[in-house]
Amino acid sequence: MIIPLLKGLATTLKMAFSKPITLQYPEEKREVSQRWRGHPELTINDDGGRRCVACTLCMVVCPSNAIKAIVADEAEDHGKYPVAFTIDLQRCIFCGFCQEACPKGAIKLNRLYELAQYDKKLLILDIEGATQSKSQLRLGDWL
Amino acid sequence: MVNLTIDGRAIQAKPGSTILEVAKENGIFIPFLCYHPALKPIGSCRICVVDVKPGPPRPIPACATTVTEGMEVVTDTPRLAALRQELMKLVLINHALECPICDKGGECELQNMTHALGVSTVDLEAVKLPPNPDYVSQMVERHPDRCVTCGRCVRVCRDRVGAMAINFTLRGYFTELASGAQPLDCEFCGSCIDICPVGALINKQFKYRARAWDMVKTEIACPFCGGGCTYQVHTKDGKILRVVNEDSVLLCGRGRFGWPVVEADDRLKTPLIKENGNFREASWDEALDLVAAKLTETVEAGGAKAVYGVGSPRATNEANYVFQKFFREGLATNQLDNPGRYNYARAIKAMAEVFGTPKLEGLEIGSALVPPYHSPLVVKEAATGSGFPFVLGKLADLPKADLVLVVGTDVTPESPPLGWGLMEAKDNPNFRLVMANSRKTKFDRYAHLSVRYKPGSERVLIAGLIKFFLADNPDWVPAIKAAGLDEFKDSIKITPKEITTKTGVEEATLKELAALLAQAKAPAIVFGSEVMSQDKGQQTALALADLFLLVGQPDAPGSALYPVAEKNNSRGVSEVGVLPDMGPGYMPVEGTDAGPTLEEMLDLLEHDDAAAPKALYLLGGDLLRSLPHRSRTKKLLKKVPFIVVQDAFLTDTAKLADVVLPVAVHAEQEGTFISSTGQLGLINQALPTNGVRPDWQIISQLGTKMGFALKSVSPKAIFKELAKKMPLWAGLAPKLSAPCPEIKAMVSGKFVPFEVDISLPGRRPYTLIIGKSLQHSGSFTTHHPGGTLAVTGEAFLKINPEDAQSLELAPGEVVKVISSYGEIAAPVKLTADVPAGVVFLPEHFAAPAANNLTLNSNLVRVTIQKG
Ligand code: SF4
Ligand code: SF4
Ligand code: SF4
Ligand code: SF4
Ligand code: SF4
Ligand code: FES
Repeated sequence: MIIPLLKGLATTLKMAFSKPITLQYPEEKREVSQRWRGHPELTINDDGGRRCVACTLCMVVCPSNAIKAIVADEAEDHGKYPVAFTIDLQRCIFCGFCQEACPKGAIKLNRLYELAQYDKKLLILDIEGATQSKSQLRLGDWL
Repeated sequence: MVNLTIDGRAIQAKPGSTILEVAKENGIFIPFLCYHPALKPIGSCRICVVDVKPGPPRPIPACATTVTEGMEVVTDTPRLAALRQELMKLVLINHALECPICDKGGECELQNMTHALGVSTVDLEAVKLPPNPDYVSQMVERHPDRCVTCGRCVRVCRDRVGAMAINFTLRGYFTELASGAQPLDCEFCGSCIDICPVGALINKQFKYRARAWDMVKTEIACPFCGGGCTYQVHTKDGKILRVVNEDSVLLCGRGRFGWPVVEADDRLKTPLIKENGNFREASWDEALDLVAAKLTETVEAGGAKAVYGVGSPRATNEANYVFQKFFREGLATNQLDNPGRYNYARAIKAMAEVFGTPKLEGLEIGSALVPPYHSPLVVKEAATGSGFPFVLGKLADLPKADLVLVVGTDVTPESPPLGWGLMEAKDNPNFRLVMANSRKTKFDRYAHLSVRYKPGSERVLIAGLIKFFLADNPDWVPAIKAAGLDEFKDSIKITPKEITTKTGVEEATLKELAALLAQAKAPAIVFGSEVMSQDKGQQTALALADLFLLVGQPDAPGSALYPVAEKNNSRGVSEVGVLPDMGPGYMPVEGTDAGPTLEEMLDLLEHDDAAAPKALYLLGGDLLRSLPHRSRTKKLLKKVPFIVVQDAFLTDTAKLADVVLPVAVHAEQEGTFISSTGQLGLINQALPTNGVRPDWQIISQLGTKMGFALKSVSPKAIFKELAKKMPLWAGLAPKLSAPCPEIKAMVSGKFVPFEVDISLPGRRPYTLIIGKSLQHSGSFTTHHPGGTLAVTGEAFLKINPEDAQSLELAPGEVVKVISSYGEIAAPVKLTADVPAGVVFLPEHFAAPAANNLTLNSNLVRVTIQKG
């Protein structure tokens, strides 16, 4: 009668002193695969400039209309670059089509996956917010 | 019809068409690169190769091979596919492949072809060439590294536009598009941009502003010259990004690059009311109430005739029709006219004298519902028509003429489509072009005979021509039923010696021209504003109408009169009845109460006549800027107690007004225009109006406030009502030309003697001609940021280098030009295009305002002094 009880206690004790399999989310974040498809972001060159040339192919291919308002301008060297670029994370379905369509490797899905917000507007990224390592969503100040 | 098979399919084709054309018509895909429907095929890229039996054992180009009876064409075999792939790879060696930033991406024929032919890799190598982009030229950006050397641009510029501004340099793999190692110095029509299959030629206005698939396309009729082009405006978010003619590619610079006028900084946005000499912004209701009250007051005090209206050659047919209805039905007067009185209306009067006013029979109102902007009048089988509209030429017929006599017009600035017509006519080896003008113009380079006469001597020239013609052909019977030839013959008294001294043209030249006219099977006469704007323009037009009556062959297509109606709707405003003596369709007004013409109205004001108007209603049209003798016009307009102006800009005339009502222009409105050659052009609204209103709506709202039931609810409804009253427009629909070719033309005429004199008073040493310059149409194109203003931003006084030398003038130097009526300052440009003793100034600009110098004509004698 008591044996099963002890067995249960032993398991409980073992678990109490071993490494837990749950995470203390949101204080702790789960490490995801290198190939995780998270938020799309605009990648940068070594010099910190965006690689995007505003060809709008990502916008065309995006099946859920999450990429909006890419406005191009002419640089001094006559090149083309975006002055506005909006990614609406609320609409994004993390399919990675944009990454695949981009001829310049200028848009990539990073490994961020969190989307809970008090203010929806935070999920609509402007060109600065969408640029690699500038995303407000990395700061964690809203956690 | 020719019978042939393509890929086993039996097909009937028009004789003379090429395999490629027939395949396209029948939906059979043959790839092509150097072929374009607007150009003659040259068969250079060989992508279009097909196998043909009977024929040589090798593949031949489909674009350059005409179909023959019993031909068997195979368009797709493994060998052909391999050949095409190989050719594509050759084209693609070192192609820039910057599609992401290339504006052509998405509508690039090379992209599409590469895809269609399944070329995925290029396993060939060649030395890399430097990209050599041209960012300096205006309007057009060139990227030779994207060029596929199809030669379309070179051919369109040389064979269709006639500018010959670009060509290839170097040979073979190194071939490069160039304009003599210089930035482009051309007509800036942009036709090469749109004919280029790739992104080697880019529209600078459009660069990087949108991708091809992002835009909404709306077709509109061009609101600049009377050429009557229709094109698609490509808009995004309520803004025009570019203008493209998807049918024939050709457009002129104003049409293609002039649209920023819609966004001009100085557009009026709200109605303006003048108080104590200054304008203040007002609401629509307030402004319209004020105008209605003032006009009613004027009518009560001075009768309905105290209000005078001037219609607009820029406004739509619908607006002008409602405008004349406002006067004819609302006020029950004929106190209205249009500014064409000073040019195109003169030609109408003259032609009506010789060929009669239009009379049509055998039309009926159709029972079926007609689509919008189609005439409800149906042409019955036995329909006949007579009168001058039946000797007016259609644009599509001009290339069929075998002799074109161009008098007093610089064709390309005034009416580019006529120029394209002449270029096409040139394809006929029997075609002869005669350019008669006081100065050298573009088409002199293509002329078989250039007649350089002294300014103002046109009538002497034509009298001489008729005299020599009849002397050489004493038994000549005009092809048109004509009365009064004998009396007319006797009325020309001028001697050959007088002709030579007065015109400065050798007798031999005129005799040669007379001989050409006698031989011609389809002679056409084109004449423009440089003759119509002279004080005796009507007499000159009469002389030309007589000449056509003598030599015209109206049964031969292309043999017609082509008076150039300068603005987009110069012809329409008269046709819908904004004339003091004729209503819609040139129907004479009943009774004898024809109103005064615009000229007569100004005279009444000058004499402070009791019949002078007390209120003026101007439907656009900057009279101060466009009428001769500016200071007089200004003085007279100031005498009018109340002026209301409908215009998009605060023009000099609008500044004199008491109320200014801002109107919609370009693609902000809906409606129709009639081109110089009678074609109905339809504008579909593509832009929001942002607070301004279309002309027709303002007039109709004003009418309502004044208690007139004009019943004008929409442009479509107005057109329907209007077209019912226009027998001349029977069978008319967008892109068709009036009168309908189904109507049997019964043209007859009578010779009317004209005054054989030169009216160019004064003794000053130089004769100034005021005319048109490329890139501009009236003053409509001179508002910043105008597209073509960048190309032609200011007016130069063109002067012969000899004259410049004797006056010791350097190029660009500002001189004083003095006439008996005024004085202006203008920089000079030295050019042998004007003969010694003649100077030329364009009319478009606010400064120098050429019409400060004139009295009643576009010709005036002037003195030129160093700055
Ligand atoms: S596909 Fe790439 S280069 Fe093109 S707009 Fe999107 S991010 Fe920019
Ligand atoms: S021309 Fe065509 S293929 Fe070449 S870069 Fe431009 S879009 Fe790409
Ligand atoms: S813009 Fe017109 S005139 Fe100039 S090069 Fe092109 S086609 Fe020729
Ligand atoms: S610039 Fe364009 S149209 Fe001209 S040859 Fe090159 S590819 Fe052809
Ligand atoms: S301005 Fe005249 S020629 Fe030029 S595009 Fe317009 S209608 Fe055609
Ligand atoms: S399209 Fe026929 S040879 Fe180029």
